[in-house]
Amino acid sequence: MTLEEYTDRFTGMLNFDERKGYEGYIVHSERLVEFARTIRDELGYDYLSSVTGVDYLPDEQIEVVYHAYRSQGGPGLVFKVQVPRINPIVPSLVSIFPGADFQEREAWDLLGIRFEGHPNLRRILMWEGFHGHPLRKDWEEPYFEESEKPFNSRWPEGKAFRIEENKPFKKNVQYPPEFTPDGWIPEADTALYSGMVRLGAKDAGNGRSLETDQILVNLGPQHPSTHGVFRMVVSLDGEEIADLQPVLGYLHRNHEKIGERNTYLMNMPFTDRLDYLASMGNNFGYALAVEKLMGITPPERAEYIRVMMAELTRIVSHLFSIGTLLNDLGAFFTPMLYALTERELILDIFEAVSGSRMMCNYFRFGGVARDLPEGILEKVYELVTERLPRKVDELDTYLTDNEIVRTRSIGIGVLPREQAIEYSAAGPVLRASGVGYDVRRAESYSIYDRFDFDVAIRHNGDVYDRYLVRLEEIRQSLRILQQVVRDIPDGEFQTGKPQYQVRVPPGESYGRVENPKGELGFYIVSNGKPNPWRYHIRSPSFINLTAFGEMCKGHKIADVVAILGSIDIVLGEVDR
Amino acid sequence: MDIFLLLEWTIKSVVIILIILGGFAYLTLYERRANARIQTRIGPNRAGPWGLLQPIADAIKLIFKEELIPEKSDKVLFILAPVITVVPAMILLAVIPMGPDILGFKIGLADGINVGVLYIMAVASIAVYGIVIAGWASNNKYALLGGLRATAQMVSYELSLALALVGPIMLANTMNIREIVVAQKGLWYIILQPLGFLIYFIAAVAEVNRAPFDMPEAEQELIAGYHVEYSGMKFALFFMAEYGKMIVICFIGATLFLGGYWGPFVDQVPLLGPIYLFVKVVILLFVLIWIRATFPRIRYDRLMAFGWKIMLPAALFNVVVTAAIVLLLEG
Repeated sequence: MTLEEYTDRFTGMLNFDERKGYEGYIVHSERLVEFARTIRDELGYDYLSSVTGVDYLPDEQIEVVYHAYRSQGGPGLVFKVQVPRINPIVPSLVSIFPGADFQEREAWDLLGIRFEGHPNLRRILMWEGFHGHPLRKDWEEPYFEESEKPFNSRWPEGKAFRIEENKPFKKNVQYPPEFTPDGWIPEADTALYSGMVRLGAKDAGNGRSLETDQILVNLGPQHPSTHGVFRMVVSLDGEEIADLQPVLGYLHRNHEKIGERNTYLMNMPFTDRLDYLASMGNNFGYALAVEKLMGITPPERAEYIRVMMAELTRIVSHLFSIGTLLNDLGAFFTPMLYALTERELILDIFEAVSGSRMMCNYFRFGGVARDLPEGILEKVYELVTERLPRKVDELDTYLTDNEIVRTRSIGIGVLPREQAIEYSAAGPVLRASGVGYDVRRAESYSIYDRFDFDVAIRHNGDVYDRYLVRLEEIRQSLRILQQVVRDIPDGEFQTGKPQYQVRVPPGESYGRVENPKGELGFYIVSNGKPNPWRYHIRSPSFINLTAFGEMCKGHKIADVVAILGSIDIVLGEVDR
Repeated sequence: MDIFLLLEWTIKSVVIILIILGGFAYLTLYERRANARIQTRIGPNRAGPWGLLQPIADAIKLIFKEELIPEKSDKVLFILAPVITVVPAMILLAVIPMGPDILGFKIGLADGINVGVLYIMAVASIAVYGIVIAGWASNNKYALLGGLRATAQMVSYELSLALALVGPIMLANTMNIREIVVAQKGLWYIILQPLGFLIYFIAAVAEVNRAPFDMPEAEQELIAGYHVEYSGMKFALFFMAEYGKMIVICFIGATLFLGGYWGPFVDQVPLLGPIYLFVKVVILLFVLIWIRATFPRIRYDRLMAFGWKIMLPAALFNVVVTAAIVLLLEG
């Protein structure tokens, strides 16, 4: 490790994390910014993948965990900062890694860690005026019963009942002191609106005496093109965007807190609900993270099945994304329906394999839930060798050279290479900007090193290139699938006996996969109990949005919709 | 005599309005079915045989919907706007000759007036007021943006539209639409005026806010643009205006460029005339639907640039060349 020579420079400020099952370094908070700059500039860890916090209640400590990687690929670097639980203050890394922006806001929102020097440290998933920080271990929600599932109180004398019957609605709601819900005016919106960039009449620079003003438009949360309940506050100068602020959290359900209550296996179907267009991919990431902690590997056949499902999921998700992008450009559903027709055929396979079309819940720790049913391999073979390649070419012919598509998307929403890395963009957004970073290649997991495929890459970083990268990735996925179907061995599909309660030794692990939307990471801390102590998701849609405002500035209002479509967010994953 | 004339006019007016109303209803069904076919779907087929009762079901639904009027809107203008929009669409057909004279009976209401083309341009321009007023009166930012876009777009494309109609006027040397049709007996004007027809068609699509020029109501950006606050029958009126104008522009296009009611054997069997006209209109309508199903939307600023920098010069060029050739041939 080349980092060891740096321990001298940070004497006493940089230590190995010596807890059992943990890895990486513990940095003193005073030297954090300097350390981050060092690893970025001198060691080449220029890609900050994940920032999150863990509340170690018994130790009276809060830990902020950073995962950094090199954009050329290779293993990552984990470093942590430990601060006391009461009023924790950590220096912000936004000045070094702008991609930490939303993630630090999330950590402040949910864990109450104050990031000093953050330009805009507001709540992001909860609403302004929310009392407390829900991911703290001592925070209890209105219907709180117990901190771990299964709840014993749910079946007294063997009879199940709903907790709502015990505590009628509204009797259990607590408001912060001096708060009356009836006369409440959301200050957050006022603050947000006043914080928007407004060009005065003089700054407008049109050289005329005509006074102009911007109008503020709320695009969303109910809007046909935001793909869900997503809100953008847009300051418009005519049709041009002066400033844009995403407002998130309308679909927030505190996934991570619920995940901490659940047992390990209970979280598996729960991950389906993150990026609901790519449920198999979410399963994959979670299974990898927990398997890393448990120290098991699935059998050969299960690995092949997993890769097959993950790549089919990628095709499904990219088809959907291309279809909706064209819809956002104003095409009247035709490309969308052409794409969805193919998607349905793949969902048929999911249904045959897992019993469900969207919420598949198919992966298990150490394998998959059940073996492939008979005849399904032939079906996949026919699909990936005949029908899908033909249909992808068809989409390509219809869309790629269409004059309107080209004028609407070339040069729109450009994210230059350096900015893409800085903003921790992931997936097709990153690769369209000329960074050939694909977790399947950069830090190969499962059996991806056996397959022959290319990382799709384009260099302009605009909407058009993101579309082309997705199209190319579908083709590469088909290539992988053809190899999978050719090579898949017979044998077990699960190590050991299937079990409801897995034993997970104490420690931490970070499992990441290349999901269709980008790098999906699961950071899991176990304390040996049946429930995870911390269950964090590095969600690609959420982090890709960090650069969204920057991409939109100076473009037209019609372009915002196209840019959002090209980032391809799924609100289930953004808001968690 | 006068009373009979009045009766004749009344009946003809009612028939023309019924053509638009019935046409509007069945055009929606036609569009939905045709779109569905293009999109590998089936389309509405449950209400009646082949879904023929679907428009009626839609109408009943819209009539019984709650009519919302936003509290902070300008109520008089809010109610007036859909009316202003829909009336021009209904009365435009008056100057279109539907067929040749059958036993001295004229099929068409006022197709003989000597300023027919001018009437079309004048009445068609009124509709833009309805849209602007709707956008303004709703007191909604999306509606306002939609209204602004509509004004700019319609004003820009109206110029090209009017210039495209100058071609047939010059060739037939009259503004009387019946005479223009009669002049096309041997040769349809689309042969003599291919560029003119193209400009007319593009500008007309923009004029009725159809895809890919449906800026004012761009669903993906402005939700529904100027009619975002309208519901129930008031919404249906806007809808009716759009589809009614679609029918009208197809009638005008068929009349001025595609030979109107002319076709084989019309001389012998004059009743074929209206049928030929109808077929031509249906084909043109299909082109409109086809365009909508296959093209993404052009961006607003590019649309304006296209209108002013390409369409208008091309239309002017077309007028100048046509005028020069007409003069040369006469001289």
